[in-house]
Amino acid sequence: MSTQDQYRELVEAYALGSLDAAVQAAMEEHLRSGCQECAQALEEARWLVTRLAYLAPDATPSDILKGRLMQTARAETVSIRPKSRTPIWLWAAAAAVLVFALYNAREAYVLREKIASLQKTTAATMQDREKLRSQLQEAKLQAMIMTDPKSQTFALPASEKDWPQMKAMWHDEYGLCVMGHEIPMPKSNRTLELWLMPKTPGSKPMPLMTVRPNQDGSLYVVVAHPPEDMHNTQWLAITEEPAGGSSQPTGAPMWMGSIS
Amino acid sequence: MFLAVLTPTDSREVSPDAALVRSLLRQDVNAFEQLYDRHSRAVYSLVLRILQHASTAEEVVQDVFLQLWRNASRYDASRGPFLPWLLTLARNRALDQLRLKSERQRRREDQAEEPPAVFSAPDYESALDEKRQAERVRSLMNLLNPRQRRAIELAYFEGLSHSEIAESLQEPLGTVKSWIRNGLMRLKEGLQATP
Repeated sequence: MSTQDQYRELVEAYALGSLDAAVQAAMEEHLRSGCQECAQALEEARWLVTRLAYLAPDATPSDILKGRLMQTARAETVSIRPKSRTPIWLWAAAAAVLVFALYNAREAYVLREKIASLQKTTAATMQDREKLRSQLQEAKLQAMIMTDPKSQTFALPASEKDWPQMKAMWHDEYGLCVMGHEIPMPKSNRTLELWLMPKTPGSKPMPLMTVRPNQDGSLYVVVAHPPEDMHNTQWLAITEEPAGGSSQPTGAPMWMGSIS
Repeated sequence: MFLAVLTPTDSREVSPDAALVRSLLRQDVNAFEQLYDRHSRAVYSLVLRILQHASTAEEVVQDVFLQLWRNASRYDASRGPFLPWLLTLARNRALDQLRLKSERQRRREDQAEEPPAVFSAPDYESALDEKRQAERVRSLMNLLNPRQRRAIELAYFEGLSHSEIAESLQEPLGTVKSWIRNGLMRLKEGLQATP
């Protein structure tokens, strides 16, 4: 096989980003040398690699994210809007307006305060509404999972005998619900984190979400779109982690149950 | 919606995405909102699959769209469709987040401000119905040996190198290389086949 052929065989892995460092450096050098055949193949390979995004389960970001982005974009638009050329007569009018504004400075200040207060109230109300909507959706989903006869129930025994057992209910379509009562409250700088272990060999535990029990010790977690379905899941577990959660468990499971 | 947006448009026409990105250069917030509505699910789905953590995934998606908002000129519509470019940008960011301490990640961080290359769609893709195209990608990947498919997923969604995948799957390095190349070739051949 010629050197050219050897490079050509690396193009797909290069587009995927899976070449080891030394080979990747050699490939980059080859591409810099102006090989048209590999450059053309790379164009197609990059396209092919983006097809792999179809393998990701469909998911929807929160409305809060969109609100945050649009707010940032609008704020930046205001701050960089270019100044227009202003005719002299307009400056005179502006000066008159300024005098008027100064004359009414106190009223303007009060008005601004009122507007700011209203904006704050509106923002808080919208946040509350969004939170309530989200809680309502979660409660509905939980009820569907718990009442549908197609849901399967799994026990999550505790590692300590003084702790009560938790329960998981899993529905192929609606998702996963984990629940328990009289759950010990973690310290303020700690949280509980739910994990899923795929059956696929070589897999690592996948973090699903962090949660703290309610004041009465009850705990309900709803995962609408688990990253694996129940038939591909080996076990579920709950560990205690630093507040904010971890990407991999840092302690032994406090509750753990086999999914089979 | 996620499936719809991955499909290329005819390169001879100005795509809706290209027109919207052009409007971003004039700081058009409405265009930004439309682009977000069209593609946020695709981007979020990919980033969440890589990071497996919703709040971190949202942070990365926010970074990606803000980069688009602030540097829209970095996308050259004449060189290829928008979404593959955006997904490549999102994947790079998500993998950076995933592997903060690795050598490969540091190399990527050095290039973090460099946008990914824009690349054109091959002809065979243009003719395919978008929903069938997604189904075909999934079904073609499902035809692979599960461990071969896993090797490709480890490379794409976790950013692992051949050696790292070989170690993770406890397979010889040569096997992993063949799996990945042959798997991608079979995917390409499957997509090229007449629908």
